[in-house]
Amino acid sequence: MLKSDVILQRLAETWLKDYFIYAPTKSGSVLRIQEIQDFRAIDWSGSMPANSWKEIIIPARERIFDITGDKLQTTAGQQPLTLCLGVNVLDLKALMLLDLVFSNDVYYQNRRANLLIVGYSSDWPHDYQKLKVFSHNFEADVLEHVPFDVFIARIKNNKLKFYSGSEKGRKLLETNGIKDFTNIKFAGAVAESGPDKRMMGLQTKLENSLKHSLWSTLDDICLACGKCSNVCPTCFCFDFVDKIDPNDARRDRVRSSCFYNDFSKLAGGFKELATIKKKIFFWYEHKFVRIPHQYNLPGCVSCGRCSKVCPVGIDIFKNIAKLSKIK
Amino acid sequence: MINVYKPKLAVVVAVSQESIDTKLIRFRFKELKDQKKFDFLAGQFMQIGLAGYGECPISICSSPFYAAKYFELAIRDVGQLTHQLNQLQVGDEVYVRGPFGNGFDLGAIGAKNLILIGGGCGFVPLRPLIVDFMEGRLKTPKLQIFYGCQNENTLLFKQEYAKWNRQAEFGIILDLPSAKWKGEKGLVTELIKKHEINSDSAVVLVGPPIMYKFVIKELLNKKVKPENIWLSLERKMYCGHGVCQHCAIGRYYVCKDGPVFSYAQLKDIPNAI
Repeated sequence: MLKSDVILQRLAETWLKDYFIYAPTKSGSVLRIQEIQDFRAIDWSGSMPANSWKEIIIPARERIFDITGDKLQTTAGQQPLTLCLGVNVLDLKALMLLDLVFSNDVYYQNRRANLLIVGYSSDWPHDYQKLKVFSHNFEADVLEHVPFDVFIARIKNNKLKFYSGSEKGRKLLETNGIKDFTNIKFAGAVAESGPDKRMMGLQTKLENSLKHSLWSTLDDICLACGKCSNVCPTCFCFDFVDKIDPNDARRDRVRSSCFYNDFSKLAGGFKELATIKKKIFFWYEHKFVRIPHQYNLPGCVSCGRCSKVCPVGIDIFKNIAKLSKIK
Repeated sequence: MINVYKPKLAVVVAVSQESIDTKLIRFRFKELKDQKKFDFLAGQFMQIGLAGYGECPISICSSPFYAAKYFELAIRDVGQLTHQLNQLQVGDEVYVRGPFGNGFDLGAIGAKNLILIGGGCGFVPLRPLIVDFMEGRLKTPKLQIFYGCQNENTLLFKQEYAKWNRQAEFGIILDLPSAKWKGEKGLVTELIKKHEINSDSAVVLVGPPIMYKFVIKELLNKKVKPENIWLSLERKMYCGHGVCQHCAIGRYYVCKDGPVFSYAQLKDIPNAI
């Protein structure tokens, strides 16, 4: 076993004593983020897991309040100390966006306060070339603009380089005897050089592109199954669902999808998103028009999960390349 | 941190049957301090709910001038929740959040002539502007109101028409009136064609999506500028804070950036109107 692997395993073993840990784990041939009981189960390849961290950060269903008689009780409870271990850079970018979107949401913030984020990147064996995010300005271009407590980078000679991104992260490293680490000071979600120019250009192209043949093609092949939105780390839409029982009522927040049939349905029956073409256009608008407009950040972190999971092979990278060509 | 999803209790203080399927309900916050600090703009909406039945957005139809005393909602019986809300009696309690949205831009309307065009129950958010005009709180020198409705049974605010006729140019047109109806028959676009429209007027338009296309065409024919035409949109929504995504159109959220938009803002957005 490589020395770096021994260090990683030792850290995970120690942290497991104090925290619930979620980490990428091989489940058959699929890499999935799930709760781990055994530190040896963690996959350190740095590959993209099939599911996203939102399963921990935004639960599929959560209680908003209960009403018993005329007493309304909110349910913004605490979450046990949980450590997200091995969050890759693209997923940290998604987390940055979620932190901004839910900045005024007491349920999200309560949960987030008890989450420790340990990022991880491996340029070994192949992700360095594939993801092209590990430039020599890694610290300034990437780590300064994403939220994390600790970041561990496996560097070229197979050594580990440690970063702390918060006071909590610094303590987490020091208490485990790691003295040699770099403090990263968060410099805002958007780089000092301003929002990504390619992203801003795409925003204008996409929002005026409904007549482009791409959307008719997708209308023909997309099944509107919603699997893409389920795995997407930046899909966070939700419904409120009330239990219809006036004596003991409650409201839950339930994760939704713009591909679901009732997503835009009004009480009178009118549906804005009545066709698959409108639904898939709406989904792309969210990623490449609305989020950039609102936050100056891309609403897609290029993780590729949606393309991998799509049953009819819709490839977001190819589609974006087509839209980019619009003059 | 304030819990933006926690509603407050409001009590029904008056109920009147406005039309065959719509009740006008006056609410007061249960806590006096909530009512005293309550304020809103014409065109904003509330999320109103009942335990176990969810909540829905309803435009406020009383004047902001009375916000510290009460607010009124005209609620049409169209779904499960609005059906329950139509059964409310004086003294009953509801859960409310709000106000939400941007409201009408009175600064932009300024001292221009104001034209209000409403279709069906879409007429509701226009009432605060009418009340404020009648009571001398708007700068606008002249008010024209054009109201298109299906039939006599669905007309709202009937007891106020006498006053509107005295102080404004008020036209009603019914699509499918009874044999007794002696007024105009047809769609609201007919009223716009017949009346004199000053091209420098500010126009506020609220109604079903199908109405917008035709009315806007008529207004542009009359040389009204796209930036002087405002519309209030209706979409499904839950959060009211531009997060849940249900009400998104193009780059905007109806709950947060709207529900009032200028036609200039919307004209190039696919599926907006």
